Amino acid sequence: MKTLYVQGNTWLHRLSPGLKLGGLAVFSLLLFATRSPVVLAAAVFLAGAIHASMRFGVVRTWQQLRVILLSISILTVFTLLLNGPADALAVFLRLVALAVLAATITATTSTAEFIDTITAGARPLERIGLVKAADLGLAIGLVVRFVPEVLARYEAIRDAHRARGLKQRPLTLAVPLIIQTLRHADEIAAAIDARGIRGQNNRKLGEGS
Amino acid sequence: MATRDLVLAALFAAIIVALGLVPPIMLGFIPVPITAQSLGVMLAGVILGAKRGGLAVLLVLVLVAIGLPVLSGGRGGLATFVLPTAGYLVGWFFAAVAIGYCSERFVGRSQSALVQVTGFFMAAMIGGVVILHGLGILWLAYGTGTGLSTAFLGDLAFIPGDILKAAIAALAGRAVMVGYPLLPQRA
Repeated sequence: MKTLYVQGNTWLHRLSPGLKLGGLAVFSLLLFATRSPVVLAAAVFLAGAIHASMRFGVVRTWQQLRVILLSISILTVFTLLLNGPADALAVFLRLVALAVLAATITATTSTAEFIDTITAGARPLERIGLVKAADLGLAIGLVVRFVPEVLARYEAIRDAHRARGLKQRPLTLAVPLIIQTLRHADEIAAAIDARGIRGQNNRKLGEGS
Repeated sequence: MATRDLVLAALFAAIIVALGLVPPIMLGFIPVPITAQSLGVMLAGVILGAKRGGLAVLLVLVLVAIGLPVLSGGRGGLATFVLPTAGYLVGWFFAAVAIGYCSERFVGRSQSALVQVTGFFMAAMIGGVVILHGLGILWLAYGTGTGLSTAFLGDLAFIPGDILKAAIAALAGRAVMVGYPLLPQRA
């Protein structure tokens, strides 16, 4: 799995992830508060200038934005048909500005930085006993680790269908995939506990359930 | 949360991600391919229950937010959260929790097969259709400024597919419950 992060050392790379996310949130609130095409066009220009100053190159920019631009185009066409050109222009400019800035932040913040930020953000939740902040990093690591294995299992099940001349149905594909994958939960949990990654208390909890 | 439940949620999140990477599955009786990813969200609630199912979906959303292209079609990154269609993405979490909560209430091991499938189907309909589409419509109406009624009309096109997915999720949920009885039903 390839991340959308682009390595580099620009000012945006060095800015703290919390600040970048906060900035994006403020930017989006401001954009949704206005309908003026001039202000929104200025926002598109600002986001475009920030993106251009990262010097990712046209090819990478296009790759990152093409799917999202398709969604934006569809939404713009619908707004045009339903509400007229003024609203459609506002929707188009607002979404392009937001999408470009968001994609730029995604490209300049590494997965590790994001996980650290999320873990730090989860600390208040930990204090009220809702989650363990450190578990988040562990869980994210587990997901990334097991995606290729689930895919391999899916292919094996699909090949088994083909070998038997069976039609591939959602039910007959999903059920064995889920059972085969979840069956390993006990071993993985035991391996995690054996290494004491989550501390002693959780192991006792695990035995109880 | 016990380590085992954390691992189950993470494994299911991996299943949801993997389902976004496989090609859409064709059904025999309708000509429209089914994207398996949103089916995975319903399955998370049905099979794992509210707490673990919700966590599984939350993990997928976190992966999207931190810039991994884990959504179907290789989408990902913060940009997917700023679109007016993000309600359907954020709604996944609430859908999974609601489906899990209802499944835990509606379905028990001692019931007959028909009652179990019906219970799972009702749960998937409440979370995966009513709550998910409700939130999606509200977000869409606010994000585009088109008003609730037009957002609702645009949304209608996706309802039949999701009803079908709820039915598949119900059948698959029951099949997993019967086929893997060791899976603890309560988190």
